[in-house]
Amino acid sequence: MINTESNNGQPRLQAVDLSKRYEDGVLALDSVNFSVYPGQVFAMLGGNGAGKTTAINLFLNLIEPTSGEAFIQGISAHREPLKAKANVAFVSENVMLYPNFTAMQNLEFFVRLGGKTECGTDDLRAVLRRVGLPDEVHHKRLKGYSKGMRQKCGIAIAILKDAPAILLDEPTSGLDPKAGFDFIRLLESLRDEGKAILMSTHDIFRAREVADVVAIMNNGRIIMQENASTLSGKDLEQVYMQYMAGHNLETAV
Amino acid sequence: MLGTLIQKELRAIILSPKFTATFAVCSVLLLLSVFIGIREYKQTVAQHETAVQLADQRIQEISSWHGMRDKTYRKPDPLQILVSGLTYDIGRWSSIDSRSTVKLKNSAFSDDPIFAVFRFVDFAFIVQIVFSLFAILFTFDAVNGERENGTLRLVFSNAVPRAKYIIGKCLGSWLGLVVPICIPIALSLLMINIFGVPMTAGEWGRVALLVALSLLYVTLFVVMGVFVSSLTKRSSVSFLLSLVVWVLLVLIIPRGGVLAAGQLASVPRLAEIEGLRDGHAKNLWSQHRKEMEERFLARHDAREERDDDDMWAEMKFEDSARKDVQIQIEAYEVRLMEDWDRRKATQQRLALTLSRFSPAAAYQLAAQTLAGTDLSLKPRNEEAMRTYRKEFNQYVDEKQAEGGHVGGIQISIGSDEGMKITTSRDNAGLDIDDRPRYTLPQQQLAAVIQPAVTDFGLLAFGTILLFAGAFVSFLRYDLR
Repeated sequence: MINTESNNGQPRLQAVDLSKRYEDGVLALDSVNFSVYPGQVFAMLGGNGAGKTTAINLFLNLIEPTSGEAFIQGISAHREPLKAKANVAFVSENVMLYPNFTAMQNLEFFVRLGGKTECGTDDLRAVLRRVGLPDEVHHKRLKGYSKGMRQKCGIAIAILKDAPAILLDEPTSGLDPKAGFDFIRLLESLRDEGKAILMSTHDIFRAREVADVVAIMNNGRIIMQENASTLSGKDLEQVYMQYMAGHNLETAV
Repeated sequence: MLGTLIQKELRAIILSPKFTATFAVCSVLLLLSVFIGIREYKQTVAQHETAVQLADQRIQEISSWHGMRDKTYRKPDPLQILVSGLTYDIGRWSSIDSRSTVKLKNSAFSDDPIFAVFRFVDFAFIVQIVFSLFAILFTFDAVNGERENGTLRLVFSNAVPRAKYIIGKCLGSWLGLVVPICIPIALSLLMINIFGVPMTAGEWGRVALLVALSLLYVTLFVVMGVFVSSLTKRSSVSFLLSLVVWVLLVLIIPRGGVLAAGQLASVPRLAEIEGLRDGHAKNLWSQHRKEMEERFLARHDAREERDDDDMWAEMKFEDSARKDVQIQIEAYEVRLMEDWDRRKATQQRLALTLSRFSPAAAYQLAAQTLAGTDLSLKPRNEEAMRTYRKEFNQYVDEKQAEGGHVGGIQISIGSDEGMKITTSRDNAGLDIDDRPRYTLPQQQLAAVIQPAVTDFGLLAFGTILLFAGAFVSFLRYDLR
């Protein structure tokens, strides 16, 4: 497992004093700093409204930061969004894709959008098989897919983009245990290929299973960030609850 | 990148059930409409030919130059198959003689009012109402629908410039609608050809322009749908908004423009004009009578001093005074009618200007202009008939002069011959083979295009404006 800063050079994803205050005055992200290195899975844990999705949206330049910067491969996502986004793949919570397209047609479109023109039908099929979608469903329209199958399709799109960094927004939400397990195995294989993975999740168990670094977020701040090795032997759920309780107490005081 | 986005948009539309439904509805509606139009046109042509033959027969039977009269019939235009315009609203024939003025009478709708209630659904109507509605149905969720589906976020996780995305949306949606429209249009035109409707090269040129105009009109609504979709976050809201805007643009503004013009530039009714004329005439005649009475009284007092010459002079004076009154009345009527025509023209110009705020009105006016079934149909035909009337009357006068016929009934009483009644009837019939014939001058393509340019320009300007709106709106659109 490659998961230490010293061994991996420049971070692929980096948040530097990243803040976001929305127009309604809500401070969704408050001077957040973190780095995700090649071959590392960085899990952001936290409840609803903790700022996890906001952080991902800032990396994707879907919103503008109030202050600070989000970097992908050292490129500012805000100042050079197109250049930065060429280096990142994204899998959302509810992968909907185009319901009237088949899996192959969806893949074909997103692969071409990602700038990969050399991908043939065989390559697309190979990736679909890799994520666990059998041949007989490759030409079925996505509106007949289950959530788990759509999620696999989303992962296939991210794999085909072959970007050095991957952003995952609640990727295991709503998946059954088998699909969740398959997903974690896929994530591990991607990490082993050297991808830097930033994952936002509520799922403490999956996070403990796959993450190299765990950050707990609350009210737009990272209130705890530890390497998985440091957390080994500890009950992550316990730690999460303690930190959340402690932080809430601090906030209340 | 742009090609990928357009291709995706097109594919998404083609694979959606609305494409199949649109294609089916467009095909059935257009083909049926053109088929009925062709049948209607052929019937009208047959009626026209019969009527012309009957008129020809009638004129051949006339045996006196004095009673020579003709009837002219408005020739059906093949383009009325696509744009009926005012074809069925205005009269079809006019009398041509020295006494009555040219006026088109007996419209198809006046003969069969039921057709006025359920008017003919032609190509222009289908484009104006049905296609514009389809354009909105295709695009009302173009942007916000993707946001709701979550695909917008996924698309923009790639290096996709917003400008290219919105251009791709507009072009893709446009292609997705134009394909199901263009196929039945092509089939309809083929049908016109197969059914042997005589069309000149100029008329085909006008049809090509009509198709281009229709596509421009549809484009405007496609872009409008994308614009509305990029203004709102929820597709249910954009659907409602698009529908409201459609009702305003297609149904309210064209009629509202005419009503507003009626209020802003009021024109008296013809009955009022007639009332004014009669009132004025009554006053003048009353004054004339009063003055005449005074003159009679004065003359009566001086009757001893007057001789026959004075009486002749007085009679001449009275006759001249009566003629003066008549001239004054006629001049006043001419002034009234000129003023009425001017105000009517102003009102019509204002109505058309206000209505043109609606792309539907601009389309309708341009389509009718291209088809030659617009507001100028009546004056154009009447003008040609007036020219013919002049030639016809001149011809009759010349023939009368050549034959020495003065017309009417001559009664002569001679001591030798007794009383003799002569009519100008020539039992052998008249040689009228060299008489002038009525033809409606063909409209030149350039002359047809010129008045339609404004409406083409308005539609193009509206499309550009809406596209700019969609572009700017999407640059600020919340992609989350």
